[in-house]
Amino acid sequence: MYRCVFRAVCPVRQPAAHVFETCVLPARCVQVFRVADGGGAKALSTTSTSFCEKSDGVTPPERDGKRSEDKDSHLSETANSVEGKTDDGSKVIRMAEQREDSAVLKTSEGGAAPQGGVTVEQEVGKPTQVKGDVAKSGKESLLGLLGAMKVEVTNKKKLKNLKAKQRYEPAVKPNPAALESTISMFQKATAESSAHSETLDPDLVAAASAAASTLPNQSQAESELLRQLRRHEAVTEAQRKGDMSNLGVIIADMKVGRRPNRQNARPANQIRFDDDGQGYTHDRSITAELDGVRRRRNLFSGKRLGIFSPTTDEDKTPPPPAKPTIWDVDFANHLVLSTNQMPRNGFEEMIQWTREGKLWQYPVNNEAGLEEEASVPFHEHVFLEKHLEEGFPSQGPVRHFMELVVSGLSKNPYVTVQQKKEHIAWFRDYFQQKTDILQEADVYLN
Amino acid sequence: LMMFLSNRSKEAVLEALASTVNRDPTAYKYQFQDDPYLAPRTSAEFKLFSLSQESGRSAAKYFINSNPKFFTKDFAEPHIPCLMPEKVSLLLEEVSEEALKERISLRKVKAAVDMYDQLLQAGTGVSMETTHDLLDLICLYSDREPVQEGGPETEDVSAEEANRSKGRIRRASDFLKTIWRENNNAERIFNLLPERDTHCYSALIRGMIRHGAYVKAFDMYTDMLNNRMTADVRIFNALISGAPEVREKYNERWDLIAELLNQMNQQKVQPNLLTFNSVLKALRRCGSLARTQALHTLSEMKALGIAPSLASFDHTLAAFYKAGKHSDITLHTDLLQEVMSELAGSSFTCQDPDDGKLWSVCLDNKDIELAYRVQSLVEAGENWRLLGDSHQQTIYYGRFFSLLCMMEHIDVVLKWYRKLIPSLYYPNVQGMRDLLQALDTDSRLDLLPTIWKDIQLLGHANKSELIEELLALMARETHSPEVQESFAVCALDVKSVFNGDRGTLSLEWSTSALCHITSLLLRAKRTQEAWEMLQLFKAKNRVPSEELMNEFLLECHAAGAPDRAVELVQLSAAFCLPATPRLAQQTLKDFDLTDEQR
Repeated sequence: MYRCVFRAVCPVRQPAAHVFETCVLPARCVQVFRVADGGGAKALSTTSTSFCEKSDGVTPPERDGKRSEDKDSHLSETANSVEGKTDDGSKVIRMAEQREDSAVLKTSEGGAAPQGGVTVEQEVGKPTQVKGDVAKSGKESLLGLLGAMKVEVTNKKKLKNLKAKQRYEPAVKPNPAALESTISMFQKATAESSAHSETLDPDLVAAASAAASTLPNQSQAESELLRQLRRHEAVTEAQRKGDMSNLGVIIADMKVGRRPNRQNARPANQIRFDDDGQGYTHDRSITAELDGVRRRRNLFSGKRLGIFSPTTDEDKTPPPPAKPTIWDVDFANHLVLSTNQMPRNGFEEMIQWTREGKLWQYPVNNEAGLEEEASVPFHEHVFLEKHLEEGFPSQGPVRHFMELVVSGLSKNPYVTVQQKKEHIAWFRDYFQQKTDILQEADVYLN
Repeated sequence: LMMFLSNRSKEAVLEALASTVNRDPTAYKYQFQDDPYLAPRTSAEFKLFSLSQESGRSAAKYFINSNPKFFTKDFAEPHIPCLMPEKVSLLLEEVSEEALKERISLRKVKAAVDMYDQLLQAGTGVSMETTHDLLDLICLYSDREPVQEGGPETEDVSAEEANRSKGRIRRASDFLKTIWRENNNAERIFNLLPERDTHCYSALIRGMIRHGAYVKAFDMYTDMLNNRMTADVRIFNALISGAPEVREKYNERWDLIAELLNQMNQQKVQPNLLTFNSVLKALRRCGSLARTQALHTLSEMKALGIAPSLASFDHTLAAFYKAGKHSDITLHTDLLQEVMSELAGSSFTCQDPDDGKLWSVCLDNKDIELAYRVQSLVEAGENWRLLGDSHQQTIYYGRFFSLLCMMEHIDVVLKWYRKLIPSLYYPNVQGMRDLLQALDTDSRLDLLPTIWKDIQLLGHANKSELIEELLALMARETHSPEVQESFAVCALDVKSVFNGDRGTLSLEWSTSALCHITSLLLRAKRTQEAWEMLQLFKAKNRVPSEELMNEFLLECHAAGAPDRAVELVQLSAAFCLPATPRLAQQTLKDFDLTDEQR
């Protein structure tokens, strides 16, 4: 705890360039060295390794012993990222950029300790730009930091006990909604900040107040945040007008791999060969990219290809092809083959049979297979006399015979109405063909 | 309830019932429960039985379809179409478009082409739709008859299944068999067409990509653009998957893919899941570029509202993982963590034939927590279906089990062991050795006899390296008398396997196996049986070790059997052991020997 406080203080008292000399503590010298030659991206990766270390040691028996260490490394991690930034102190604008990034890191990943992280960063960010009130604000922030840490410690113990197993999720989010909005808004702000001048974007203000609401001293934190943001805006603007090439650096910085000193900084073990013989190296852009992934806790929120523009659904949905082609059939066949279609129990086998049409469908319905009849009302089946009105005599033996036929048909459930009509129509034709014979026999027709 | 159900699909009731049934780890797979005799105990038996089941069905189907005249009676009411013979032979003989359609629907490539030519000669026009179907058919099979020996579709399904179970080598050769021949019928018909639309180009391009004519496909695409036509999403998907084949360098490959995507956008073609999966799959062959671009591609999918399938994640992970590169593993694991938290608890349907390949990749690291998360994902919903065929399942469970053996406490391992074996997984020799090592690590060697029974059941009793390891573990230390007794029983059992008493292929006795069994018997005070073992050394021309002889001598001493001791010394002399004099002295010292024995 003492060490990390010390390190948090260091950058406050010293101008940015000298941070490393003062920080070479025996215990942490490895990390510091790496920070020194690796620059910003490296600092981030160091941060992530220490974070990994932390999350690895969570098997229950070790945890009690490790708890204090965990906190320790967590805080030193904060300090680390701060150091990384101060390395680039000369390029203030980039620093500001990164600070926001790591603010996102803190809020999303740090979970239990957003207070500590944010406070430290803010206060460290200040002295590099405004050197006047360094000492004073430094002291204040130290006090604030200490206060925040007390809260955090108790919080953290409790949470750790509760959430021992959930290592990969952020331990807890004091105010998830607020935090999330902060994250997205910070990202937005990073993208848009250069476009705005003195007046702050209302989104930014909202984000700042959301972030501040997670801090103990809300109103003060908010005003501090806003002041910081304004300063950042001002610097951005100045930088933009003054030196456009610096802007280029920022853009180039997004693809961190393009640095001239990259060749030298590459550790020996990173030169490896691909399976197919062509060498490739583990370039830093990947680490940065993955860090991005880790930081945002989401695979999908990174940069995208930016080729397609999302369209709304009703915008245009291509009309599906009229009938599946042989290619579609083949594709479906491949899909089926690549999955395991074996039934695991009797019911699943019955499902298969149902799909193949071999089984009665459940719930059992005794009209299965008579679907086309379902729309025919029963009276069509039963009251068939109306079909006798045309083409048959209204009385006499033929009429009598037909009434018997209709009566029989109306009791027959096994034929469709159409079949019944056809049956009657057959008799109509028959008797019409036999008209002569019937008249000869003096059967009364009409 | 009925009202509620009537709105659901026809399988809803059965699905609800099926969801109440849990897996019984002590039972055999459902498909074998009809016939207890056919319950498979080894993976070889499993493969044999399931394939014979499948081929039996295919044979029946083939017989019915090729002899429809015997199967005219329709008993079922309502009618069940799938029980009736399918139409597999050509009925229409005259030259007409109808006949052409019939040939296309029955996938008779050559007959269809002939019919088309006859129609053209007769001067009859063929409708565009039928021409499309014809081109599709020819291109899909690259102007060859589909693999079927007169049988219908089921036939080539089972053929393909047989190929799959034999692994990759067979499939690769299958793939090589079908190549796109220069100027085949598809190209000829295509060139004869008075007008060509997107669909015609689509058929040709997809066929060329499928059958390895990548450069030609891209030429065809250029030709199409020159004719002022726009491609559809299928063409682009095919082209993207062929992109790595037409460029050498990684960055050129990616440039080509990016260009294709840009053209898609210009031509207002909306990409789909398969587009991006093709991109990611192609990126697997783009070296280091793949890492950044794969993540960008995922973000692009997200931005377009296309949910990635398992195959997308598989390809992405592959970009970050190269086998054997240890420094990559952390990176890979980190990404895997992300993927797992993305996927956790969701149930998937198969959308891409590559979807099932993710699982075993996920277990290719040493993180047991991660493995549990993968396993719980596999158990969620219908995801087990995506594990793929038995071959892939074996790989997956094999990795899972060996990871358990390596990382977990033996009790946990055994819990999973009972859960997985043999109802889901038949471990191979390596799997069993992992288990033996896990037993050794946690000093639960007393369980070895039960494991030996399982080994026999799983048909590994004829694997000498496994038996050697088992015997070595049992003989290494001295245990309590009860354990020694059970070990001795086990050792005799092993001996009977060596002698081929079970009618199985007998194994070659090795010196160490003989020594181990003998000393196990000695420790259990089964002197007589141990003595018989010693005779075996002679019969099999093996030389016992010195320690064994010492152990024997001690045993003789304890039993007070001077005859035995003398015989032992003689035996030792017969083996020309360097320790013979020392043994002799020991015998002289420890026993009261008669003159004759001296």
